[in-house]
Amino acid sequence: MSYIDAGYAIGLGTLAAYGALLWVRRRRLERAVARSAGQEP
Amino acid sequence: MTGVPGVDAPVVPGVDAPVVHDVDAPMARGVDAPVAHDVAMPGAPRPWGPVATWTVRAMGVAAVVCTALTVWLGLWVTPPDAVQHDLVRLVYLHPPIAWVALYLAFGTAGLASVLWLWPRTRSALWDRLAAAAVEVGTVFTALTLVTGSIWGRPTWGVWWAWDARLTSTALLLVLQLGYLALRRVPGDPDTRARRCAVAALVTAADVPIVHFSVVWWRTLHQQATVLNANLSPTIHGSMAWTLLLGFVAVTLAFGWMLAVRYRIEALSAAAEEAELGAALAERRAEGLAVGSGAAPAGGPDTALLHGALATAGQPQATDAEALCPDAGHPVAVESDAGQPAAVRLGSAAAERAQ
Repeated sequence: MSYIDAGYAIGLGTLAAYGALLWVRRRRLERAVARSAGQEP
Repeated sequence: MTGVPGVDAPVVPGVDAPVVHDVDAPMARGVDAPVAHDVAMPGAPRPWGPVATWTVRAMGVAAVVCTALTVWLGLWVTPPDAVQHDLVRLVYLHPPIAWVALYLAFGTAGLASVLWLWPRTRSALWDRLAAAAVEVGTVFTALTLVTGSIWGRPTWGVWWAWDARLTSTALLLVLQLGYLALRRVPGDPDTRARRCAVAALVTAADVPIVHFSVVWWRTLHQQATVLNANLSPTIHGSMAWTLLLGFVAVTLAFGWMLAVRYRIEALSAAAEEAELGAALAERRAEGLAVGSGAAPAGGPDTALLHGALATAGQPQATDAEALCPDAGHPVAVESDAGQPAAVRLGSAAAERAQ
């Protein structure tokens, strides 16, 4: 693997992983909030 | 601000006792105040409306498309450089990431912190925005160092040099990590926000040093290619357009991440608020049950306090102990006669046992 491949793989891979992590966290929290709201009268 | 909700006694000055918001009261600050038709959690942020949802999604899709185009142009279309040869292809990635890390993330965090510190514009919104910008900025700063190092190894022959640009960027990363650590220190939300706003401004002060480091000192790192003193980019042709597209792609990615991270911050605050509200309601119910059955004058909170004091001598936590995770902080509460009585949380159980 060349330096260029490594740079692109690490750079874009990290951004993609961080973006996915944020998306999952937001989804979980929104579902938790919605669930709590549903339990309230 | 009161140490125990409903009890009109001030928190002992200088003590960072956690603040428990009244369950029925809207959030004191911030644009995410609960609305009647909103979710029932106290302090819950409003769900994103269709415009906001559409905008954030469009930003995310545009970021992915622009990034794919940049990669295609950068790796397959643009020619190799006369000096750097194929290593110039890393330049389509590294400066755009650095642009976000240095200017966008810290511009946002610095501005939001100033707006929080200024009493007229103080709002929970700015604190959350600064926190979101610093976290996203930290990822970009780390990537700036890593991609720069990968470019530096074949170009300079070393992975790392104690060059002014590299060192000041590394210092920026350390300061960012310090900010994130400071954010996790327990304390009441206002105190935490104030500490973090000051820390963000201290961190943002490093940004001009990073930017001008290549001008002020003799460095290995090359001088600015685009944002130079003459504002005339020293790159041209398809390389310049590819680099510009890289800037657009990473800026869109930052915008999407910032919006999502802000949303997480707002939802987390709502969840914390809801947990405290539930705990408070539970303790109120217990306090009323433990008491004589008749609520004393002063309302249910006073009844709770009466109930808690009546159980002195029993190994049972008081309401305040149950609610305040920072055990050991003194909080002043009012006794029957309205005289302040200092109750040392956490140590109260030990005192009762004696």
